[in-house]
Amino acid sequence: MSVLFKNIIRFVLLLMLQVLVLNQVLIHQLVNPYIYMLFILLLPFNLPRPAVQLLGLLLGLTLDMFMDTMGLHAAACVFIAYLRPFILNVLSPQGGFEVTQKTPSITSMGTSQFAIYVSILVLLHNIVYFLLEVFGFANPFYLLLKMLASTAASLVLILIYELLFFARK
Amino acid sequence: MRNLIIFFRRYFNFFLFLLLEVICIAFVFRNNNYQRTVYINSSNNIGGQLYTWNNGIQYYFHLRSTNDSLVKENARLHNELLSAFNTVDTGFLLKADTLRKFSNDTMHRVIGSEVRRYRWLEAKVINNSITREINYLTINRGSKYGIRPNMGVVGPSGVVGVVRNVSENYATVISLLSKTAAFGFSARLQSSREMGTVVWDGKDGAHAIMKDVPKSAKIKAGDTVVTSGYSQLFPENIHIGYIESFSLSDKSSTAYTIKLRLATNFSNVQYVYAIDNLLKDEQAKLEDSTYKQIK
Repeated sequence: MSVLFKNIIRFVLLLMLQVLVLNQVLIHQLVNPYIYMLFILLLPFNLPRPAVQLLGLLLGLTLDMFMDTMGLHAAACVFIAYLRPFILNVLSPQGGFEVTQKTPSITSMGTSQFAIYVSILVLLHNIVYFLLEVFGFANPFYLLLKMLASTAASLVLILIYELLFFARK
Repeated sequence: MRNLIIFFRRYFNFFLFLLLEVICIAFVFRNNNYQRTVYINSSNNIGGQLYTWNNGIQYYFHLRSTNDSLVKENARLHNELLSAFNTVDTGFLLKADTLRKFSNDTMHRVIGSEVRRYRWLEAKVINNSITREINYLTINRGSKYGIRPNMGVVGPSGVVGVVRNVSENYATVISLLSKTAAFGFSARLQSSREMGTVVWDGKDGAHAIMKDVPKSAKIKAGDTVVTSGYSQLFPENIHIGYIESFSLSDKSSTAYTIKLRLATNFSNVQYVYAIDNLLKDEQAKLEDSTYKQIK
């Protein structure tokens, strides 16, 4: 399956999972489980940076359309799409990742590297999103708790996703 | 010029990022009422503070003329006191209401002479959220059916929200579960008729907070809180919630903070009624003109 085709399927699948399943589930007022941003995290390494950002905008706006929160998710997505290359640079070994594996995954990056990469970007996404949604520092402790709890929920979901679609190569 | 172009090319990614973020934030402010209100308020605080300082300084220079005008006003009011006149009882003239209520069939008979105030329109909830800071419901009736913005929406067991946007066949309703600065429901205690405001604190979908109930009110847990009927959106005596606990936020505060268990179960609300207040415009017009006269 070509990389392009795979990514298109992932885009649709993750958005449907987010809109039809996760947004309907109420775990706790503090926990908003998000998984759709995994699409940005799993884009190929060699994709040009402007393209990553534009795809982030597209993904964010699509979700915003479903959730009536014009611009909120898009802002968070563009933010992590912009920061993604920097994080990858910091985490990459000398001479870059192997070229045979085109997308970030546990096999191409190593388990710990991949875990750090995912956690940082998911946390950044949630920080931007909740800051924009709550829009104020009236209750900073509650806000912080909400960010951390939601990040934990997202990470668990991403772990499950990786276990389901783990490609041993 | 060449250097400028090189500069732009080198930081192209960053500029693209800034551009996209600005577009997103612009979307947020254009389309989301809550963020806009908060932004406008905080900018007003700064402007208001400046004007207060300015006024504090200017005020001193006008003390003399202010005094003069106050003395003049005192003299005028003294002249208008009741003791300066012989009182005459003018009496009242009462006139009966001539509006009629007609039956709906072809006969068009007169049923009564009371004026109809509320019309209830039923609707089904087709989308609902309770996990966000500001929650919306979507109902399957729109402008075709007579739904208009700012109509109150109640469920079978209590208040649900207020209609926000209307399309031809659908309408969105801001749920009571919305943590917004300007969104509160005028409410009162059913037993003692004390007034207050019900707002949501954003913590969980089954509870809300009632504010502004004076310290003198007699409250006990289990009391029912109902709509006051002052807001023009809801008729009176529609249940909002039941008192679970109450407290004074500190010893010096003059109002109770009451925790309510909401009457409506927002996680499974299925059918609602939008309430059309037929006399709303008339009331609003009258109140506006009165307000203008006072101002």
